[in-house]
Amino acid sequence: MAQYSLTVNQKRYTFDVAPDTPLLWVLRDTLKLYGTKYGCGIGQCGACTIHMDGLPMRSCCLPIESIQDKQIITIEGLTENADHPVQKAWEEEDVPQCGYCHSGQIMSAVALLDRIPDPTDEDINRAMKGNICRCGTYPRIRKAIKLAAKDISS
Amino acid sequence: MTSRRDFIKVGSLAGGGLLVSLVVPAYANTTSNNVNSQEIKMNKFLSIDTDGKITVMLTKHEMGQGTGTSIPTILADELGADWSKVQIKKSDYHPQYTWQEMGTTGGSGSIERTWDTIREAGATAREMLKQAAATRWGVDTMALKVENSFVTNIGTNEKLEFGELAETASQLPVPEEVTLKKSKDYVYIGKPIKNRITKKVVSGNARFGLDMNLPGMVYASIEKCPVFQGKLIEFDATEAKKVTGVLDVFPLILSEEEKSKIHPKRGYVDKGVVIVADSTWNAFKARKALKVQWDYGQHGTRSITSLEKEMAQASETAPMTFEIGNMEQVFKDEDNEIIEAEYNNPHQAHALMEPINATAHYQGDRCEIWVGAQDPSIVNAEVANVIGLPTDAVSVHILNSGGSFGRRYHVDSSMEAAFISKKIKLPVKVTWSREDEIMHDHFHPCLRNYLKAAISSDGNVLGLENTAISTTGYSAWSNKWDHYYAIPNMRCYLSKVPTLVAEGAWRSTGEHSANLAKECFIDELADKLGKDAVDFRLELLSREVDWGDPSSFPDWVKKYFLPRKKIIRQRHIEVMRFVKENGLWDKQMPKGKGKGKGKGFAISNFGDTVCAEIAEVTLNESESGFRVDKVTAVVHCGMVVNPHFGKGQIEGAIIWALTALKYGGLEAENGIVQRTNFHNCKVLRMDESPEIEVVFIESDERPTGLGEPGTPPLAPAVLNAIFDLSGKRIRKMPVTKQDIHGMDA
Repeated sequence: MAQYSLTVNQKRYTFDVAPDTPLLWVLRDTLKLYGTKYGCGIGQCGACTIHMDGLPMRSCCLPIESIQDKQIITIEGLTENADHPVQKAWEEEDVPQCGYCHSGQIMSAVALLDRIPDPTDEDINRAMKGNICRCGTYPRIRKAIKLAAKDISS
Repeated sequence: MTSRRDFIKVGSLAGGGLLVSLVVPAYANTTSNNVNSQEIKMNKFLSIDTDGKITVMLTKHEMGQGTGTSIPTILADELGADWSKVQIKKSDYHPQYTWQEMGTTGGSGSIERTWDTIREAGATAREMLKQAAATRWGVDTMALKVENSFVTNIGTNEKLEFGELAETASQLPVPEEVTLKKSKDYVYIGKPIKNRITKKVVSGNARFGLDMNLPGMVYASIEKCPVFQGKLIEFDATEAKKVTGVLDVFPLILSEEEKSKIHPKRGYVDKGVVIVADSTWNAFKARKALKVQWDYGQHGTRSITSLEKEMAQASETAPMTFEIGNMEQVFKDEDNEIIEAEYNNPHQAHALMEPINATAHYQGDRCEIWVGAQDPSIVNAEVANVIGLPTDAVSVHILNSGGSFGRRYHVDSSMEAAFISKKIKLPVKVTWSREDEIMHDHFHPCLRNYLKAAISSDGNVLGLENTAISTTGYSAWSNKWDHYYAIPNMRCYLSKVPTLVAEGAWRSTGEHSANLAKECFIDELADKLGKDAVDFRLELLSREVDWGDPSSFPDWVKKYFLPRKKIIRQRHIEVMRFVKENGLWDKQMPKGKGKGKGKGFAISNFGDTVCAEIAEVTLNESESGFRVDKVTAVVHCGMVVNPHFGKGQIEGAIIWALTALKYGGLEAENGIVQRTNFHNCKVLRMDESPEIEVVFIESDERPTGLGEPGTPPLAPAVLNAIFDLSGKRIRKMPVTKQDIHGMDA
C-alpha cells in the first residue's frame, strides 16, 4: 500500500492503494465513481475509456503509480449538465440499448471530435473500433457522432 | 373464465390517489416457489397520486431491449396519460409479480405476453378517472374525452387533471367491461418514444449490477475449476494471503445436501477457491498467487475435436422423431437424385459487456441479493436453497444488466455471493473477470445437421431427411411441427451427445442453430433446380405441410399450434411478397465469381415473428475472407410498439449473428475453454458493422417479439451470398479466409 494523489474531474483525491492498482479500480472501488466501466481488463473493449491530459486512455491498463500528477476526466466530469454536443447527440439519436459500454463510447467520440471536428466514416472507424458494443448500436453511434460534428461546426 | 373483476383490483393510495393492482390467481405461474396461486394481494402495479404523478411498476428486466420503457408506454397510451408524468419503478422480486410471465424476461416475449394485461390495466384506470369526472360534472361519460392526463368535457371544454380525480376514482367499483383503444387512436404506441435510461447513460449515472455498493462491502473473486463439473482437490493459499488487502481465502464447495436442492442447470456453480479482499483488483491479483490442484473429471480428456467425432458417431444411430410419407421409397428410386450436406453449428459465447456479478448481504435469518437477472424467481429459489433459508427470507433487488441475451437466466453469481456472505458475515460483491465470463460461460449449444434430399428428374424436391445431433437434446426443425416448407416426404432423427461445457440460452437459441442448415440447404436445392431462392421458398410454402389426419392431433396442437402455424406461414409469404414487390431481391443479378458482389437470402421465424434478410457480400483478405456491406431485413411482427427500439433490436441481432459467423465457435482442449478475452474471443467492431436497413411490414395484428428474430436468418443469408459470389458452399462457422480462398490464403 502506498499513498497516491490524483485529480479527477477537477477534484483532488488522496488515497492508499497498491501501486499496481489500475486507475479503473481506483475510480470504481476507491472513489466510487461508477460511470467508468470494467469490461476486459486488458485494453481490448474500451468500456473503461477516460481522458488523461485530454487524451482517451483505457483506465484498466494504467497502474496508479505511473500516472501521478495527471489530469483525469471521467464521464461524470465531462460536463456538468450532460450537455456536451456528443452527449446531446447520443440523447437525440437515443443510441444506447443496455447502455453499459456507452461511457467509454462517448469518451472516445469526444476525443475523436476534439482531434477531427468533421470526421469521415473511415476516421470514425479508426477512432471507435477500440470500443465494443455487444448490443450492436454501432449504426447509431456513427449517426450520433456525425450529428455531434454538425453541432460543433455550427 | 376469469372476469375482469378478478384480476384488476383497485384501492386507495396512501396519502390519496388511485391504486390499480393486477392479480390473476387463475393465471398463476407454475414455478414451484410462486405462492400467490390462491391469494389475492394488491401489488400496486399502477398508481396515480393526487398531484397527477403516475407510477408504473416495471416487472421486466431491462438489459438493452427497451421494454423497460416500451411496456410503460403501452400502459400510458391506454390510460390517456401525459408521458412526462409517468415514472417507472423497477419492482423487487415478489411472487405477486410473477404470474403470467410478468416476472420473467426472455424468449422475446415481454410485450407479446403482457400486451392484453397492460392495456386492460390502463383502460380500467382511464374509465374510472372518466367516471369520477362524469360524477363531478353530473354528465354521462360519453360526453368526455381523455388525453394527456386530462379528462375533458367535450361540451363545455372544462378539464380535470388525473390528480384531481384520482382519489374519487379510487372509491368507485371496477368497471365490468372496458373498451380498448383502436390502433388509429394510439398516441405513443408506434412512435419512437425515447428510452428512459438514455439520460442516465450519457451522464455516467446509469447503474448496473456491477456498480452496486453497500456500506462495509468487501470484494470477492473466485478461482474456478477450469473444466466444467471438475472438482477441487486441494489448494495452497500461503502466497495469495500475502497479497495486499486479502481478507480471507476459502473453498467454494457445496455440500451434498445443498447440491441435492439446487437446479442442476440454472443453479450450477463451478467449484472454486474464493478470495475475499478490500478491492476487486486485490482479489483478482491474489487469485494469480493461488496454487490449486483440480480433478478435471469426466470432461478433462475431451475437446471440441473429440466432441465432433462423438456427434458424427451419434448421427449413425439417432432415433427417428417423425416421418411423413415414405422416405425409403423416395431414396430407393433410381430416377431421383440424392443431395447430401452436413452443417456444423458450434458453441457460441455470450461475451456480455458487463461481466457476471452479484452482491449479497446475509444477515442470519435473511439475505438480500442485488443482481441483474432475467428471472428473479430463480435467483430467489436457488439462493434460498444454497444458504438454507426459506424463499420469503431472500430478497432479490434487480439492477439493469449490461447485456444478457439468455446468460442471466443462470444464477450462479447470486448463489456464490450468498454463499460467501453467509461464510464471512459481511456484505460482498462477487465480480467475475472477463476471463471467467468467457471461460465459464453457459455457451450456446452445438448442433450438427446431416441433411439428405431427393430430387425428381422433373425438378421437384420429393423428400428431405434431417439428422440433428445436439449437445442439448433438442433442436428446432427436428419436430414435424417445426416445418413450414411442404415437402411431400420428410423424416428426422435426433440424438444428444453430452456437452463438455456449461450451456444455456443464447440470443435466438435453437432457431439460430437450426436455421443455418435449413436456410442454406434450401438455397442449395434451389440452386440445384435452377430456381430463384425466393420463388422456390414461396413454392414450398404454397401449401401446408401434410401433418397427417387432423383428428389424430392432440388437443393442444389443434387449439394452440395450428392457428399459430397458419399465421407464421402467412407471414413468411407476406414478407417474401414484399421483398419481391419492392425489388429488394433482384434475381437478375449476374451469377458467379468475379462479379464483385454476392447476394444471399434467408428467412426464418422466432416465435410468431418472421424475419427475412438479404445480405450483400464482398470478398477480401481479412481473417474471415469476406465483408458484409449491407443487410436488408424485412420483418413481420404485427404492430411495432416502438419503431426505434424495434429497429435497434434487429440491427443488434444482425451484428450479434455476424459476430458468431465471423469470429464465433469455441476451442476446448482437455476440457478447458481456450478463449479467454476479447483478443481471442473476437466480436464485431465498428469498422466491420454493415449498413443495415430494417423494414417492418405494416400490420394491425397484436405485437410479437423482436429481441431475437433478427439473429437466425443472418448466417444463412451471408453464406448463401458467399456461394453466389464465389461458388463455394461453406457449411460451418466461423468462416475463415481459407474456407473462401483455399488453404494457401
